[in-house]
Amino acid sequence: MMLRLPAARWIVLLAPPALVLVLWWFLSAASTSVFFPPLSKVLDALVRDLMNGVLPAAALFSLGNLFAGLVIATAVGIGFGLLIGETERLRLSLEPLIHFARSIPQVALVPLVVGAFGLGAGPKIATIALAAVWPILLNTIDGVRGVDPSIRRVSRAYRIPALLHFRRVVLPAAMPQIAAGIRVALPIGVTVMVVSELFAANQGLGYYILHSASKFMLPETWAGALLVGLIGYALALLFIVVERRALGWYFRSGAK
Amino acid sequence: MTQDDEALLRVTGLTMTYGTGEKANRIIAGLDLAVRAGEFVSIVGPSGVGKTTLLRCLSGLLTPTAGEIRIVDELVTGPHPDIAVVFQDYSRSLMPWMTTLDNVAFPLQGRGVGRTERAAAAATYLEAVGLKGQGAKYPWEMSGGMQQRVAIARALAYQARILLMDEPFASVDAQTRFDLEDLVIDLHANLGVTILLVTHDIDEALYLADRVVVIAEKPATVVDVIETGFGAQRDQVATKADPRFSEARARILNRLRVQ
Repeated sequence: MMLRLPAARWIVLLAPPALVLVLWWFLSAASTSVFFPPLSKVLDALVRDLMNGVLPAAALFSLGNLFAGLVIATAVGIGFGLLIGETERLRLSLEPLIHFARSIPQVALVPLVVGAFGLGAGPKIATIALAAVWPILLNTIDGVRGVDPSIRRVSRAYRIPALLHFRRVVLPAAMPQIAAGIRVALPIGVTVMVVSELFAANQGLGYYILHSASKFMLPETWAGALLVGLIGYALALLFIVVERRALGWYFRSGAK
Repeated sequence: MTQDDEALLRVTGLTMTYGTGEKANRIIAGLDLAVRAGEFVSIVGPSGVGKTTLLRCLSGLLTPTAGEIRIVDELVTGPHPDIAVVFQDYSRSLMPWMTTLDNVAFPLQGRGVGRTERAAAAATYLEAVGLKGQGAKYPWEMSGGMQQRVAIARALAYQARILLMDEPFASVDAQTRFDLEDLVIDLHANLGVTILLVTHDIDEALYLADRVVVIAEKPATVVDVIETGFGAQRDQVATKADPRFSEARARILNRLRVQ
């Protein structure tokens, strides 16, 4: 079941980005604008900085932060989501607050958090987690509330203890929706990852992009942006594979 | 009835009212019922009479407004370890993320039974319902009749003294229904479990049970009780052709028609 998506599906997945790259190549080929360099120059810069280790080092720092931030967001989002979704009172009193917090543009707070806590990975991980947690939290709450009452009755009639009920009934039943929340959280995390490195940073992809732009090395700026896009795309693909595997019952049962 | 003294399950004056004040809707009023150990009792009543409400009270999922339910001497105040329920809608009572074996073993896990022991018990009861070697399948890979067999195996594996069945064959085709009815008769005869089955189908109620309790009226109460007297061996053709069968059938129909 690993990566065995049908060939037709791979074509459907890979054809649109390939088409965009081809279009980009030809439309930008004759460009003389400093701000829109030809894709060939962008790719030159990309390959060079990938080979000389500058971009891999930057990506390693950024992806480490992204991974840590998403793990925290997922753990917190699912944990509190289960609790809030299962507790009617908690949900009623917290829901307005959650929607308020979610509506705050997280990206706008990045300078504050990073400014206050300074260089290093900690504050960046925190901002990524803070931005990515909301779709996971809200989807978990909705998923938990949507658990079929008849399944809950089975659990009650057979006196399933609370923890087991959470782990083997509520969590799996809500998992398709939780996965949808994580899928939404991924690109948010990638965006905030970059933005968090635009302030008080001396490494990472965001720093690479900002630094090259400030030195007017615009092919490098584009190369950095392109790499971030590729990372986001690769994450989305990876997530589809993981989701298919983890939620095999859901996709194969025809529930979806 | 003198046998009431030895009842395994005894319901006294069960009353269920939804809402209060002017909006109060009384579904069940003063219902009495006693089931002896090893007995197979059907409760038959027309659609909408409150069968599901009654069953939820008996399974401890609903707290009755008045009256009491006792197992031997113990008052039932919630879901009870001596009551296993087979729900009407098998497609929504089995967990699609678990294999059939895990579905059957799950209530045992809740009871703290160890992994190997509960897997062995689950396999045994899957075999008892005619699903030997099918434990690795998922419910949605099976037909409706097979899924309901899994639900029955789960109830049996729970090792409760009373099996409560809520219109368990309402959503399968006629042939599958006959097969499942005969399966339940066999299980009752072989395992000695006490069965209380709720249905709207008079033929099914008569064919399966030692005793049929007819409930009707609004609010619902017991209007008739019939001892079927067919013994342990039943046959879909012969039993239903028995003059006592048609006699009992006519009696119940007339009971329900007067309403």
